[in-house]
Amino acid sequence: MRRGSIVRILGLTVVFAAVQAVVAVAFKWLPTSASRQMDRITFVYWFATVICIAIFALVMAVIVYSVWQFRAQPDDESDGLPIHGHTGLEIGWTIVPAILVIAIGVVSAIVLSQNGRAGTNPLHVNVTAQQFEWSFAYPDNKNLKSHELVLLVNRSTRLDFEALDVIHSFWVPEFGQKQDAVPGIHTHLVVTPTRTGHFTLICTELCGLGHATMRAAVSVVDAAGFAAWIKKQQSGVGSGGSAAFVSGGCGGCHAFKPAGSAGQIGPGLDNLEADAKKAGQPLADYVKQAIVDPNAYLVPGFQKGVMPTTFGQSLSPQQIDALVKYLTGTA
Amino acid sequence: MSAHAEAHGHAGEHHGPPTANRSSRIDATTLGMLLFIGSEAMLFGSFFAAYFFVRVVNPIAPAHWPPAPFHFPIFVAGVNTVILVTSSFTMHWALQSIKRGDRAGLKAGLVSTIALGLAFLLTQGIEYAHVGFNPGDGAFASAFFGLTGLHGAHVLIGLTLLTIAAVRAFRGHYTPEHHHGVELPGIYWHFVDVMWIVVYVTVYLL
Amino acid sequence: MTTAAQHEHDTPQAFEPFGPRARGFLLRAGWIRATWCTALFFLVGMFIVVGSRAIFDMHPVYNWTIITLTGALTMAPLGFLTGIGAFDYWFYWISGRPTREEDHSGHGAKAWPDYFRINTDHKVIGVQYTVTTFFFFVIGGLMAMLFRAELAQPGLQFFSSQTFNGLVSMHAVLMIFLFIIPAFAGLANFVVPLMLGAPDMAFPRLNALSFWLLPIAGVMFMSSFLAPGGPFAAGWTGYAPLSVDSPVGSMFFNMGVQWAGASSILTALNFLVTIITMRAPGMTFWRMPLLVWANFTTSLLVVIATPFIAGSQFFVMFDRVLHTSFFVPAHGGYVLGYQHIFWFYSHPAVYIMMLPGFGIVSEVVSTMSRKPIFGYRLMALSFIGILILGFSVWAHHMFVAGMADWLRVPMMISTLLIAVPTGIKVFSWLATLWEGKIRLTTPMLWALGFISMFVIGGLSGIFLGSVPIDIHASDTYFIVAHIHYVLFGGSVFTIFAGVYYWFPKVTGRMYNERLGQLHFWLTFVSFNVTFFPMHYIGLRGMPRRVFDYSNQFGSLNMIISVASFVLGVSTVIFFYNMITSWTRGPIASSNPWGAHTLEWQVSSPPPIFNFDEIPVVVGGPYEYGVPGARHAILHSAPAAEEVHA
Ligand code: HEA
Ligand code: HEA
Ligand code: HEC
Ligand code: CUA
Ligand SMILES: [Cu+2]
Repeated sequence: MRRGSIVRILGLTVVFAAVQAVVAVAFKWLPTSASRQMDRITFVYWFATVICIAIFALVMAVIVYSVWQFRAQPDDESDGLPIHGHTGLEIGWTIVPAILVIAIGVVSAIVLSQNGRAGTNPLHVNVTAQQFEWSFAYPDNKNLKSHELVLLVNRSTRLDFEALDVIHSFWVPEFGQKQDAVPGIHTHLVVTPTRTGHFTLICTELCGLGHATMRAAVSVVDAAGFAAWIKKQQSGVGSGGSAAFVSGGCGGCHAFKPAGSAGQIGPGLDNLEADAKKAGQPLADYVKQAIVDPNAYLVPGFQKGVMPTTFGQSLSPQQIDALVKYLTGTA
Repeated sequence: MSAHAEAHGHAGEHHGPPTANRSSRIDATTLGMLLFIGSEAMLFGSFFAAYFFVRVVNPIAPAHWPPAPFHFPIFVAGVNTVILVTSSFTMHWALQSIKRGDRAGLKAGLVSTIALGLAFLLTQGIEYAHVGFNPGDGAFASAFFGLTGLHGAHVLIGLTLLTIAAVRAFRGHYTPEHHHGVELPGIYWHFVDVMWIVVYVTVYLL
Repeated sequence: MTTAAQHEHDTPQAFEPFGPRARGFLLRAGWIRATWCTALFFLVGMFIVVGSRAIFDMHPVYNWTIITLTGALTMAPLGFLTGIGAFDYWFYWISGRPTREEDHSGHGAKAWPDYFRINTDHKVIGVQYTVTTFFFFVIGGLMAMLFRAELAQPGLQFFSSQTFNGLVSMHAVLMIFLFIIPAFAGLANFVVPLMLGAPDMAFPRLNALSFWLLPIAGVMFMSSFLAPGGPFAAGWTGYAPLSVDSPVGSMFFNMGVQWAGASSILTALNFLVTIITMRAPGMTFWRMPLLVWANFTTSLLVVIATPFIAGSQFFVMFDRVLHTSFFVPAHGGYVLGYQHIFWFYSHPAVYIMMLPGFGIVSEVVSTMSRKPIFGYRLMALSFIGILILGFSVWAHHMFVAGMADWLRVPMMISTLLIAVPTGIKVFSWLATLWEGKIRLTTPMLWALGFISMFVIGGLSGIFLGSVPIDIHASDTYFIVAHIHYVLFGGSVFTIFAGVYYWFPKVTGRMYNERLGQLHFWLTFVSFNVTFFPMHYIGLRGMPRRVFDYSNQFGSLNMIISVASFVLGVSTVIFFYNMITSWTRGPIASSNPWGAHTLEWQVSSPPPIFNFDEIPVVVGGPYEYGVPGARHAILHSAPAAEEVHA
């Protein structure tokens, strides 16, 4: 009886583990890694997954087996065997989990320290987070400023965070790394991209009404592409109205046909003339004010404080003028 | 006991509860008060934590405490400390008196404790008025007013408890055998007192 | 009953603080007095504010933020408590008039209106608690339905982002502060004194007060939807500085937490004193049922930790109202201080929300497998282990918050180590099943469902405890999945187990077994369909607390939303079963499960004072299958025992 049931339990455990293994492998649970850090995180993830699959399979096997084997017949009013404990078993299931979790801990600690190392010559980027936009500065390139994060493939990058109002959090799922930007405190993060491509930076800390829309574009490029991008930025080609619309993240909240955006948090921008009339202002002035000081006039049906009030500072006057032209269709 | 309850007109359907077994030597109300004080100590703990964050952990913590143009009235608060420590002794006197059956001593002890407590609060109020900064003047002021204010609120609670004890004392309650109503506010009062010493040392002296 | 007052009485005298009962309905303790007292106290609070602002020449004199805080959020609740009669005895006692003998008029319930007044009977209070908390469960659940409808598709369909964030925050706050924590307190209120062989709690009047603080907190949270500027919407964690700068509605959260917290601290004090001083003769700590152990450790957690959340919310209010700078970096404040203080409570709070459930499951598993709990002592000690470890892991919620780097690894190790005492519990339950005579009744189904679901939640907690994985998964739907596996699959499943298990004891009637099983299976399946995919969408890149998300998650979110509606409907079966069985169910015997613990040795529902004589405990609580073993001897009840044996 004893030996037989242990064999059957182990058999059930293997079956459960196999089912879980299929679930674990058949779906791609993690995004395809795009950074060296994510590679290591993926490793820890699998390390923990294997241990957890084993444990959960064992637990389920015992439950299912007991229910199946020890279920009382409807008319059976008797009691079970009065087993009060077993010191060996109890010591066993204290020690073994302790060893397993400490193993997870050690692996995690090693990966953590590796993931924190920026190497000798990282690319520096200063990241500024504010409700609800990201901006990036490249101190190594004359402090070039951008609303898009452009990184070099296979070059470790040190990101230094600053938050202007409340807490925000930097996350690019494919990079794995995440870090809060906290007002009054300097935080940083290391990322070493391993493949080129376009990714999305997501704010993951609830930061107010526009939190869901606080995203920015991230590109990983090779050395030539980076040099070209820097040059383009410095020559100001990117300051056209449509570029500003993209880099300002306007499309996240506003639907605007020329830009192909479909955001729904703010009013659609395809019929600004009518709104300007309602507000009793000339069109260009109205739009400019709506960007620089959005709370001065509220479009009926929309709330105060949703549209960021910071574009007046974060966009250059040229950009704002270009934006106004772009939105009013006079570009 | 149950005979008593029936005399109240609930005969038959109502009887009193059986007397509970006493499974510990400690008295229930005293234990309750001690646990409550433990909880209160943790509340102070959270305020001390906030103070510690502002003064020590914060990367922009001020080099001098309090920062440059401001001063804490160490002397006035020291006098206040003496007042509050004295009140612990008068409280002790009140309790010892009733244990001996000395009702006059009980009343005098309670009244003087209350008077000293009020004097403490008054001094603190005057100190606030003349301290030269207000809660809006930065995090150091927040921590200062937070801790001293929380303590002041506890003095007020203690005074309320003592006033209740005093009212009952003047109305003829309490005997050498039964004086919980004095003992418990007393324990609380000593706690408030000790807490002040900790607040005084950390906020003013360190 | 153990108040000092009783020892100090001289002449017994009728007890009517506001004069004889004949004084009329306006002055009698109850809902009418509560109504006008609430209004009166609000006006007094408002007068204090306006008066002092006028005197000190502050403008504007009518500062509605401060009036709301003082009048509506502080004074009005005190008025309500005064009016309903929570303080009557104490007012009388304070006034120093001659002490009167306790006449137990506030004890017990003979008709339903007795459940709507101040009642000092722990059994009545237990029912009041449980029913109230299930009310808030429905509200919190309906809010989840509303925002799940919004989340069924990407983009904004039904709500403004303010309303959405408000619904999410309020959902969590109601579930945590008004459902899980007090529901456990309610079940324990009913059961613990009975299990100990005590006639009531140590402080019955305090017990009543603890209960009546709860609806205050609940109404306060919900009325923040009416506040100008909208409800609190900074998440249930209310991180500063966002929560400081948000509309007045968030003060309803700051203050509501204070009332709910006061309620749980007072109950916890009461449990601790009851367990320490009122155990029946022979009931040593090593003979206490594990449910009592669970509530003992939970109460210690509550008493030690809860003041920290009170503190954190005070600081937020000070920053808002008094313009202090605890969390204003420009003036020297430290933003992360909020999180440290908040989590120093809120991590232990997750064990406050789990340990009582462990207790319930231990009772159910032992009774339904007809076996003693395997490794009873280690089970009890592992509670203590979790209690101690629980205070050393709070920063695992802050791995990405920018706190000191050196804190991460120690906090990770202590977090992971919590798997050890928790694992001891899981494995001991499994060993208890082994060689048992398992009866798959509804409570047992919930208990087994709990074990399997909680292990999933616990293991996802292990993933989160590993810092590198948490860095990727933090603040995503993976967290939401973890939350619900431990809180729904964990705490809520155990609450269902407990409610079904003690239903015959509380009501004297039996619930409908078939509906109970249907409820279990429907919930079990829809629960997994709702919450399991969240692991996936979280790891793949969907952050939490967003009303809009990238289109790639559209179809999965649709599945989740539909399943969540089924989950909601499954709850309807539960309520239907409870209501019909309570009114028309078959009469239950005093011990339908054949359990050994003391609450089953008295009639169902138990007599008004629990025991005619205090029982004598002579053995362990779970001696199933041990020939001749007894847990306790009730002098006057051998007859009853024979009848239902
Ligand atoms: C009932 C409530 C409850 C419980 C019991 C737990 C239990 C645990 N939780 Fe969870 N947690 C929450 C409720 C709970 N949690 C909530 C509400 C949040 C989100 C808060 C918010 O931000 O809104 C959260 C968030 C949270 C985080 C932060 C994530 C983040 O925001 O980035 C972390 C990180 O470490 C964590 C870890 C754990 C761990 C390690 C346990 C452990 O206690 C689990 C232990 C159990 C087991 C491991 C299973 C049984 C054990 C065995 C079978 C033995 C063998 C096992 C091994 C060898 C591994 N939890
Ligand atoms: C015990 C705690 C508890 C419980 C029981 C639940 C129950 C549910 N929760 Fe939630 N939840 C939390 C605690 C809990 N939750 C916490 C702490 C958070 C974090 C909040 C934050 O980020 O600040 C959270 C967040 C949270 C989110 C993430 C929101 C976000 O980040 O944007 C989601 C999303 O789906 C969700 C869904 C649900 C659903 C569908 C249920 C369902 O299980 C509910 C089912 C119950 C009912 C529906 C009630 C009964 C219904 C009826 C009587 C019938 C009426 C129904 C119909 C007609 C359909 N919860
Ligand atoms: C987080 C959401 C959000 C973002 C990002 C955002 N807006 Fe808005 N915007 C709103 C909301 C909400 C309103 C309506 C309330 C108001 O008028 O302030 C609005 C109003 C406007 C209006 C007036 C619209 C009308 O119909 O009259 C203009 C113009 C506008 N925004 C332009 C922009 C531009 C340009 C950008 C990017 C540089 C931008 N917005 C980014 C939310 C946003
Ligand atoms: Cu910024 Cu969320
Ligand atoms: Cu935690």
